Amino acid sequence: MTVRITSAEGAPPPAGDNQHPAFELVALHKEFGGYAAVKRAHLRVRPGSFYGLVGPNGAGKTTLLSMAVGLQRPDEGRARVFGIDVWEEPERAKELMGVLPDGLAMPEQLTGRELLTYLGRLRGLDRDTVDARADELLAVLELTGDVERTLILDYSTGMRKKIGLATALLHGPRLLVLDEPFEAVDPVSAVVLKGILNRFVASGGSVVLSSHVMALVEQLCDTVAVMAKGQVVVEGPVAEVRGGKTLEETFVELVGHHTGGEKGLSWLSR
Amino acid sequence: MALALIQMKFAVLRRDLSGPRATWVFSGAVAGLAMAASTIAMATVDAPDLGTVRDLLAVLFALWTLGWMLGPVATGQPVLRAEQFALQPIPRRRLALGLLGAGFVAVTAVVSLVAFAALLVFGLRLGTVPALVSVPALLLQLTLAVLLSRLMGRLFGALARSRVGAVLGAVLTATMLVVASSGWIVFSALDAVLRTGFSPVFSTVVRALPSGWGAVAVEASARQDWLMTGLPLAGLVLLPAVLWVAWNRSLGPARWSRPTVRGSSADRAAPRGRASLSPTGAVYAKELRTYARDPQRLQSLIVPPVFAVLSALVPLAFGSTVFLPFMGALTALMGAATCANLYGQDGTALWLTLQTPGSERADVRGRQLAWIVVFAPLSLLLTAAGIAVAGQPDLNPWALTATFALLGGGAGMVPLVGIAQLTPGPDPRAAKNAAADHSDVAGQAFSMLFLALTTAVPALCVTLAGHLLHNPSLLWAGVPVGVVTGWVAYAMLGQAAHRNLRKRGPELLFLMRTGKQQQQPKPGQAGASFSKTLPVHRQCLLWISFLAGCIALFPQALVPTLMKLSGHVEPLWFLALHMRPEWQWPTVFLMYTIGVLAFTVAARIAFIAIKAARAA
Ligand SMILES: Nc1ncnc2c1ncn2[C@@H]1O[C@H](COP(=O)(O)OP(=O)(O)OP(=O)(O)O)[C@@H](O)[C@H]1O
Ligand SMILES: [Mg+2]
Repeated sequence: MTVRITSAEGAPPPAGDNQHPAFELVALHKEFGGYAAVKRAHLRVRPGSFYGLVGPNGAGKTTLLSMAVGLQRPDEGRARVFGIDVWEEPERAKELMGVLPDGLAMPEQLTGRELLTYLGRLRGLDRDTVDARADELLAVLELTGDVERTLILDYSTGMRKKIGLATALLHGPRLLVLDEPFEAVDPVSAVVLKGILNRFVASGGSVVLSSHVMALVEQLCDTVAVMAKGQVVVEGPVAEVRGGKTLEETFVELVGHHTGGEKGLSWLSR
Repeated sequence: MALALIQMKFAVLRRDLSGPRATWVFSGAVAGLAMAASTIAMATVDAPDLGTVRDLLAVLFALWTLGWMLGPVATGQPVLRAEQFALQPIPRRRLALGLLGAGFVAVTAVVSLVAFAALLVFGLRLGTVPALVSVPALLLQLTLAVLLSRLMGRLFGALARSRVGAVLGAVLTATMLVVASSGWIVFSALDAVLRTGFSPVFSTVVRALPSGWGAVAVEASARQDWLMTGLPLAGLVLLPAVLWVAWNRSLGPARWSRPTVRGSSADRAAPRGRASLSPTGAVYAKELRTYARDPQRLQSLIVPPVFAVLSALVPLAFGSTVFLPFMGALTALMGAATCANLYGQDGTALWLTLQTPGSERADVRGRQLAWIVVFAPLSLLLTAAGIAVAGQPDLNPWALTATFALLGGGAGMVPLVGIAQLTPGPDPRAAKNAAADHSDVAGQAFSMLFLALTTAVPALCVTLAGHLLHNPSLLWAGVPVGVVTGWVAYAMLGQAAHRNLRKRGPELLFLMRTGKQQQQPKPGQAGASFSKTLPVHRQCLLWISFLAGCIALFPQALVPTLMKLSGHVEPLWFLALHMRPEWQWPTVFLMYTIGVLAFTVAARIAFIAIKAARAA
């Protein structure tokens, strides 16, 4: 039932330095004990694209993205980053990616700066580069000053998202895969974050993010995919997917079969 | 309400008895029932003075009760916890009752009830009235044990939240472990004890402990000494009542908050030194910081040396210094056991390693390095101190060999067991206010003890050969061999570990995220055989455990038992029979333990493989 809106197809990819898509998911499939969380889903992200993935709770976004970046083994299907298979050549593919997964732990006993230093060295970056980047990232994300010596264990939910984003950006990836990066982030930080991501895309990087905030996707992304029940139901440029209406209305139309909310929960109305 | 909690516990129990943990539960139950049977057997022994049997039972009950108190340390917090119901409007009293009742719905409680039936057997042997006295007494003793266990769980939970508390908890844990594991000393001298009874001081102490009150009451009722019947029974009612109140109060809101640990300031965040520039160095620095900041890690660090020192001091009370030189080796061994679940403790933070290309090797090597740096100085220092104090030069080659071999073996096994047998627990952030809320790591720690010991066997065999052949150079050759085998274990097991991590990384992450193994549907592999689904290293482990179990259990334990019982002793290659007489029974017992553990490990591996093969 996939409706593919493919108008941008012929257009030359912005900053397209090679012929491969930045990110290509082919028939990724995952079952949990007989329940198909992701059903042979396809995605294709052009280089230089800002790509939004939306879908109701439990649609399979997190599962799809974890399979795509190499954190969860798919039952079937492939994932490629600039033509490099994530599961066959993980080392090369992961060099190109920066990932922010949803709801996973960090080395909790480190401070933000210690974590970035640790990861930089783990990736073999030299000392001065790591220090300079960590300085800049922490300053931009407002994780310095009073919270400098706070362990990640004691970070708030939004601070966790921010330090997670910093780890994704540290090594200068060409593709960012972010699972709900704006969740629990305060409005001021969200502006900063958007600025960072926009600049990243402007300079030729590609971003894939999942979100529940339609307005945000409309504002940021050039391409959007809607997922429901494990399948990508629509994929295409934002303007075409929403087709005159707001993205929110289109989204509700596409995935929302339930009315209700007015009726039911009778015990709550006195 | 209370009933609902008990029903919930029944559901958990049913799941345990049919789930993947069933092997552990069953082997634990079998071992427990064997111990319970020996407890009952002790109630039937003949002694000139019945007071001796009473004292013996008091000792055994003390050990069982101590086991209950130690339970929460090994197995984490109970499945049903007060915090889970914090938002439900349940009166605290009912919650306390329900949670306590749930504590009785456990395999351990059934096993203990069987063991405590020793009191009934003892009572029946003495007559009708003592038998009647024994029934409430044994039920009260069990209640006492369960209550103590619950309270200790709360106490450890509270302690484990701060670093100071973690150290206190570690000392407490180590002390209880030593007392519990020193219990066998009594039984190594059982013949003498039955003839002459315990020393008056010892006898008074075990009878004064609440765990001995039931035995005291039963025996006193046989002498129609009603005062000594009534007093302990009253105590057994009163003490649980007091504990009940304490238990009730402990379920209230937490009284003090978790002290916050601070990290380093901006200019000190980057570790100095050339070593920390490499990826391995980065992991090493991260690990050292974690050892210093995480109460749980600190506990892993404190338990081993305290346990080792106390274990060496207990025999000192009997004038024996033989254990002193082995303090260091024991520290290394216990260090491996307390750090058996390093990867599990870090939870889903593993994703960063998976997402960083080629970092698996650095991750494993860095952790190994940190473990060595943390435990080697301690072990070597304790070995040196022990050797100096003990003044038993003939033990020195043994102690040095064991220390070096175990340090290397431990450093090799820590990541390997940590990865191959990862026990998922709550994510560190979820558990930050309930640090004792870890997973059940007892099984993993046991297999670690066994596997780490195995790595020391080759070097110790050289020492043994030197000893048997009276060849001093061979005797001392064990030390360099220990260094070499330690190094080999460090290098090779570490390599096996990071290969395993690379191969199974996503599966491990899944395991930690969901707490269950991922079943992998592999089309065309239906009915795949055991040897196909099982990775080579697990197969090796399976056969080694099986072989070791056979050797330990039959020729090294069963045959010497028969020989000693029949009085027809031919030492041959039976280790126990080469020991000095007073060490023969403990050695036999040790062999039984090793045998059972080895079989458990083998059975567990096989069981998982069979399940995997079925699922495929
Ligand atoms: N480990 C698992 N075992 C069983 N089912 C799972 C597992 N992980 C995910 N699922 C199921 O797969 C489906 C998709 O989950 P997923 O987390 O990918 O959804 P999502 O789109 O990210 O939702 P949300 O918007 O709420 O984050 C859900 O129905 C979930 O219950
Ligand atoms: Mg999600």
